[in-house]
Parts: sequence; C-alpha cells; structure tokens
Amino acid sequence: MDELYLDNIDEYVNDHDKIVTYKWLSLTLGVHVNIAKQMLYHYLEHKRKESSPQLHATYLVSGKLVENGQTCHKVSVVREDQLEDFKAKMSPVVSVHVYSVQKALLKDSNPLYIVDYDAVKDNLKSCSRFSAIRCPAAVPLSSAQPQQGRETPGNPPPEPETRKTGMNGHANVAPKPPAKPQKGIMGMFSSKPASKNQDGGKEIKSEVKEHPPSEDVPKSKPVAKVNPMLNFFGNQTTKKPDKPVKQEEAAERTSTPELQPPSSPTEEKEKPKGEPEPPPKDSRSKSKRIEDSGSEEEKMEKKKRRRIKRPEPDSSDEDDSPQQTETRQPTLTKEPDTVQQSQVNEPREQQTPFPREGWFTRVSDFQGNSGTKMRKRRRVLKSRTFVDEEGCIVTEKCYESESYSETEEDFQPSKQPPRDPVRAKPSAGSKGDDKKNQKKASASSNKGTKQASIMGFFQKK
Amino acid sequence: MFSEVSAQKEGSSLLCRPDSEDQGPVFERMSQAYSPWSERYSVGERSFSRQYAHIYAARLMQMRPTLSERAQKKWGPDVIIKKLCDLEPGEQCCIVGTLFKRMELQPSILKEISEEHNLLPQPPRAKYISEADELILEDELQRIKLEGKVDRNKCVTGSVIAIYGAEKNDGKFTVEDFCTADLPLQRERPALSSDRFVLLASGLGLGSSHADSMLGLQLLVDMVTGQLGDMGEQSGAAAISRVLLAGNLLSQNTQDKDASTKAKYLTKKTQAGSVEAIRLLDELLLQLVASLPVDVMPGQYDPTNYTLPQQPLHRCMFPLSSVYPTLQLASNPYEASIDGVRFLGTSGQNVCDIQRYSSMDNHLEILEETLRLRHLAPTAPDTLGCYPFYQKDPFILEECPHVYFSGNAPAFGSKLIEGPDGQQVLLVTIPEFCSTQTACLVNLRTLQCEPVCFSAFTAQEDEESEMNVSH
Repeated sequence: MDELYLDNIDEYVNDHDKIVTYKWLSLTLGVHVNIAKQMLYHYLEHKRKESSPQLHATYLVSGKLVENGQTCHKVSVVREDQLEDFKAKMSPVVSVHVYSVQKALLKDSNPLYIVDYDAVKDNLKSCSRFSAIRCPAAVPLSSAQPQQGRETPGNPPPEPETRKTGMNGHANVAPKPPAKPQKGIMGMFSSKPASKNQDGGKEIKSEVKEHPPSEDVPKSKPVAKVNPMLNFFGNQTTKKPDKPVKQEEAAERTSTPELQPPSSPTEEKEKPKGEPEPPPKDSRSKSKRIEDSGSEEEKMEKKKRRRIKRPEPDSSDEDDSPQQTETRQPTLTKEPDTVQQSQVNEPREQQTPFPREGWFTRVSDFQGNSGTKMRKRRRVLKSRTFVDEEGCIVTEKCYESESYSETEEDFQPSKQPPRDPVRAKPSAGSKGDDKKNQKKASASSNKGTKQASIMGFFQKK
Repeated sequence: MFSEVSAQKEGSSLLCRPDSEDQGPVFERMSQAYSPWSERYSVGERSFSRQYAHIYAARLMQMRPTLSERAQKKWGPDVIIKKLCDLEPGEQCCIVGTLFKRMELQPSILKEISEEHNLLPQPPRAKYISEADELILEDELQRIKLEGKVDRNKCVTGSVIAIYGAEKNDGKFTVEDFCTADLPLQRERPALSSDRFVLLASGLGLGSSHADSMLGLQLLVDMVTGQLGDMGEQSGAAAISRVLLAGNLLSQNTQDKDASTKAKYLTKKTQAGSVEAIRLLDELLLQLVASLPVDVMPGQYDPTNYTLPQQPLHRCMFPLSSVYPTLQLASNPYEASIDGVRFLGTSGQNVCDIQRYSSMDNHLEILEETLRLRHLAPTAPDTLGCYPFYQKDPFILEECPHVYFSGNAPAFGSKLIEGPDGQQVLLVTIPEFCSTQTACLVNLRTLQCEPVCFSAFTAQEDEESEMNVSH
C-alpha cells in the first residue's frame, strides 16, 4: 500500500485535472494532514525524477518577517518560483511544505481556496479530524440538548430513529406511543368540525335568544368565527365524556321512569362522533336543572356537566335534517317558562349578541366550570330614561358593560314569548324509542315534568 | 514571539517521504480558565422612550468622586472644588464637569430640516472639527465656556474631567490645568508557567464583493486549527487557547441600503445579502469551534442591534457551530477574564467616532485616551448610538483591564502603558482582516502582542506591472 497513494495522486492530478491541496488529500484519503503534505512532496519528487510532463506546485512558507520595522509572523502560500525569495526574507523560517500540486500554473491563489472550501464543506462535521491539534473541550453537545435551546437542523431527523431502536424490546408497542400523542394533536384537528359545531351551536342558541325572529339566519357565521379558539375546549370535552356522564347517571338513578332520558353513556360511546346524540343530553341536563336550582353545590355539579354537554348541541347542527330547527326550538322555547333554570344556564344565555364577544364569554364560562364563582363582564343593552336640559324626557338605549357573577340572575323571560314545548314533541323524536326505553329508564331521577316533555320530544324521534 | 515559540521545536521536515510508521503528531489544545464579565453590557428590558440626559447625569455622578480625588492629588488636598453655580469670578478653583464641544460641522437633523429648501445635503466628512468649535463644561445645573490650556480639538463631548482655573469677567472660564479620571485600579495578573496565546481578529468582511481575502482567512483558520505548517508551527498553534473575533464579521456590502427604499414587490424574491454571508461565517466558525474556544463579538455591520452595547448575535444564525460549547457569542463591549488576564474592548465604533470628532487619528492614541478618561465611549450618546441607560453608565471602567483592544482599525498597533498606580495595560488595535490580512496574537504570559499576516499570490501583481509597462 506504501506507494499506492502515488497512483492516487497521479490520477487526481493528471486524469481528473484537479488541484490537489494537502487538505483536500488529507480529507479524501483520510490521513493526517502532515502525512498528506509528505505524500504530495513525495509525489512531486517522484514525478520530477520521471521527468514527466511538467507539474506545478505551491508551497506554504511561514516564519518571522520584519516589515516596515515591525516584526510579524507571516504565513504565505507561494508559487514554486517564489519559494526561495520568501524563505530568504524570513528568519527564522518556521515551516515549509507543499501546499498543492496541479498541472496548470496558477495565476492567482483563489482556486486553492475553492478546492479547500469544497473539501471542507463535504466534511464539515469532521473537518478537524486529521489536524494536528485536538481540543478536548470542543465536543458537540448531544443532540438532545441542542433541541431545547439551540436548534440543529441536522439532528432532529435521526433522533426519532434512535428512540425507536432504543425500544427494540417491544417491537409492537414501540410504534404505538408515538402514534398516540399524535392522535392527541391530530385529534384536535380532526375533531374540529365536531367541536366547532358544538360551540357554534351554543353560540347560535344564545343569539337566537336575543333576537328570536332571526333564529336561523345567523347560524353559520358565528360558527366560523368562533371555532379556532374553541376547538381546544370542544376537544377536551369530547374526550372526557364517559366518566362524568356515568357519575351523572349514578346521581340520577332515582329518577322517575316516565322521564326516560334518551342518551346513556353506553349509547354515547357507541355512537359515532358526528351523530346527533347531544340534544338528548342537553335536554336531560335541563330537566335536571329544574329541581336543583336552589343549592349552590348542585349548580357546580351542573356546570361540570355542562362542559360535557357542550359537544352535543353542535352535532345536532351538523346534520341538516329538518329536525334541526325543531330540536333547537324546544330548547329555546323552554327556557322562558323555567325561570329558575336560567340560573344554571346563565353564562350561556347571557351572551351578548356580538359573536366576537361571544367567545370571550365562552372562555370564561369554561373557567367557571372549575367551580369557582367568577365575576364576569358582559355587554348589556340597557335603556336609560332621563330628563335632559331642555326638559325633554329622553330614553337612550345603549350597550353597557357590567360585571356579574354566575349566581346573579338577570335572565329576562319576557324576551321570548313562551311557546308550548309539548307541541314540538310529537313532531320531533320518533327515532331512538327503543334505546330510550332500555337505557334511559335509569337516568335522571329528579326531572320535573316540564323537562320530561322535552325529553319526550327527543325520545320519540 | 510566536515564530520563536514555534520554531523552537525542530521536528522532522515535511519535505520528505511519509514514514509509514508515523501517524502524524497530535497536540493537545491548551485549555484555559475563562470567565465572561459582560453582564453589564446586556440590556434586559429595552425601553427606548427615555431621554438621554440620564446617561450624562449618571456619568457625572459616578465619576465625580474619582475626579475630586484625582484633583486633590494633583493640585493639593486643599484645592477648592466647586460647582458651577457657586462660582465667583476671579476665584481659583476646580470644577468637575462634562465636556461639551459645540461643533459647527456636526451633522444635525434639525439643521438639515431647517435648511432643506436651499441647501444640498452635506457630504459626509472624515472629520467634523473646525476652528470655530467651542468647548463648554457642564455640571448638573449650569454650563460655562472654556478657554485657556485645554486642547479643544483633542477633547470630545461627553468626557468627564476636572478643570482648574478661574472665571474671567467675560464669563468664560480660563483653564490653567485639567485632569482626567485616569486608569482605575487593576487586579494582579497571575503568573503563567507557559506561553499561551489569544488570537484577536476583526473585520472578516464576509460577503464582500471581492473574495480575494478568502484564502487568507482560510489560512488563518488552518493555522489556528493545526492544519498548516510544520510540527513546530502546529505545536505553537496548540498554545493558542482562544480566538476572539472583534466585530464586522460581515462586510458592509451585506447591508443592502436599497432594501428599505425599494418597492417591496421588487425585492420580494431577493434574499438579503447577509444570509449567504452568515452561512459562510457559520461554516468558518464550525471549523474553529471544533478545535478551540471562539468568542464572537458583533460589530457595526453585523446583524444585531446597532446601538451600543450591541447584544450577542443570535445562536439560531449558526446552526452548525452553535452545537459546540466552545462557541461564545459575546456582546460588543467585551469583557472577560482569560487565564486571569482581563480583556476589555470593542469592535471599534467608539474609537472611529472619536476619530471623527477630534483631531486624533491614530486608533492607538484614541484608545489610550479613552482609558485615561476611564470611559469606553465618551461620545455616546452624542454622536455614537447608545441605549438610553438611566441609572448607571456601564461604559465607565470600574476595573482596569490588562488587555484593552478595539477592532476594525486600519492597521495593527500595540503598546504597553503604565498607569499611575502601577497598572500595566496592553493596548491593541486589531486591524481589519479583510483589508490587511492580519490578525494578532497576545501572549498571556508576557502581555506581548504580535501581528500574524497571511498572504497569497495574486494575478494582480503581474497584471499591474504589465499595465505599467503598457503605459
């Protein structure tokens, strides 16, 4: 192997017509830089002896130089013909070695830089592997560290792989964990439509309350606006339903059989997400409300539950079956006559007519679920009557922001003419009759008659 | 100095056939104790809604005790030190205050606006001093015009000094003598057992239109990383324990002035010139940091804030090299202790600014002057951009450095000066690398400094001579 490199260099120089610098050679052959310098020298000598076509070389000279009365350490790359001049100027000469060998005579030294640059660029990660100085302190940080504060674009791709290989033992399990978190995130997006609608549905409801005549019109718009933020909440609620619902169920065991709330936890599980399970639940919660309007604790509980329920209304929105409007109407109409209920419902009901503000209140509403009473702000249309300077009685209607807490009651039943909820019933549910009967019998013990009628509406469908 | 260290070890020549047994020498990089002292130059909360007056107030307040002390030392302990408001005409006394130089030629935006209807914009000048300049001393409440033995051309706005003399009847103060705060106290420098070097370089000027200097830069990197030269040189290079890049890593050309004036749609697809240059710098730094610790200071043309103190360049600009713990991105006034040797310096803006507003030209001289004034950048915030500090002026030197440098000088210069209390300070002006191909090595043991020049052959020499012939 000893002389093999001569052929190598010869090939690079003569056949490939390359400029071979010591650094390029060292990186290409994987040898120490000093060896590479010697190889080039040896090759040069060898070729010169053979008197083969002329080769040109450049040398590196360094040493102490006195220039303009100032001593400096000078490092120069020179052509062969200048070599002796430079050596003569320096005292002492610290180093002389072949810098590069090439076929053509170099006019200027830029090509040398380009050659080195390319070589270094190809070996950036290990550019000082063959140098004569080793630095123990210069150890690249592990790939995990840089990811925290300092990003290394090169590293991230390999990482997941190493993780996987690390988990070799559980070949089957390993792929799963990564998949799950993804689901969490992906789920957020995928469930978007559902959650969107939920929230949207609510929105609409509140809106409808304020402007009963224009019920259906504003539906779609607020939904679009609201959703990006709400996805978060909506999603959370969708994830959780099983447990809380069960609790509820347990709590309501003693319910009167006639009420027969339509949805049960099991049912819910079975149903695909998009389906209109929610309305039943909603109704159930409402039915409950009637009874417990009194005690604080129960309210809290309800609030919790409401969070679960939120998903429901929207899904009803999603399928644009004719029921849709009908299902909504009952909920709407029902409220006026059950004034007490409003307590529970409040945060929702009192939303302002402005969709944009709507989601703010929603957010706070969500916080409210945790059980603490919070003061909230909302805008309310108020009319003020006063006598102005000219003695006229002026009535001004203006929006005012006022703070309120959830316990406060200022739902105004007068806004909506009470409609007979029962009327809606027959037209509504003919659907889940069987299910209803089997499963719902146990649920919601305390439901009042009014609620029952609504429940009935869902069930019959 | 470095040559001798390197030449001592006579190794086998590289002008011979490779020995198949020999694997090539590998030297261990000298390690060193390093602790940065730059916290005072980091600007945490950035509020630009303040006035600059606070800096002057803080500066005067901080420096008054020192100057009073100096004045008493110089003119006797019973010298009367007064404030301007207590000044009586004809009374010999000493006053501590901030200098203000009123300069006709100093560019002023107000003047430009008021005269814009009939005047062409003034061309930028190399110097803004003139015969009509007036020197004024201010303290907290008042100001007074100065005349007498004080060189108004040498003085710059913002320096705090003590003057001795008396007020004349015409309301001007005749200065008989003045003194500066002079060098602060210095910590003792530990004695090192061996030669260790810190390499200082500045003005790499990456991204400039002419890339001639690139081979020189590569040679510098190769020398430092131990690729170049004989074994002797490599062992010498192993004693370089740190590289300090003092600003202007990018060329001025990377700052595209047109970008702000051109229509957006015209520049939409063009990449900023600095992007490519920073990538180049990252690759360069990678080679360096893989072999030794490197401190990178930003300079006037580098992508960070413009006003002093310049904050460190952001790590995310160096995806390759920032993986190494050896990369230190430092602030622009730079202060650190390397092996117990205190380094302090800037990328040169302060010196260049004083050069424009005083008669001094030599960077080394200006550097010494700022040290004597005990202030890194007296002209900030008057003519030099500066963050509006209000509680304290971080540019006041509180401790005397051992090595005091400034970057981007036109030429290399170094000087060892002695302070009144026996302080020894090495002043270094680091030349701009892209134009001089010169860096410098500071020996931490002896505080000597030596330039290192790199050169390569170019076709220009030949062409020039040919052209001369043709003429």
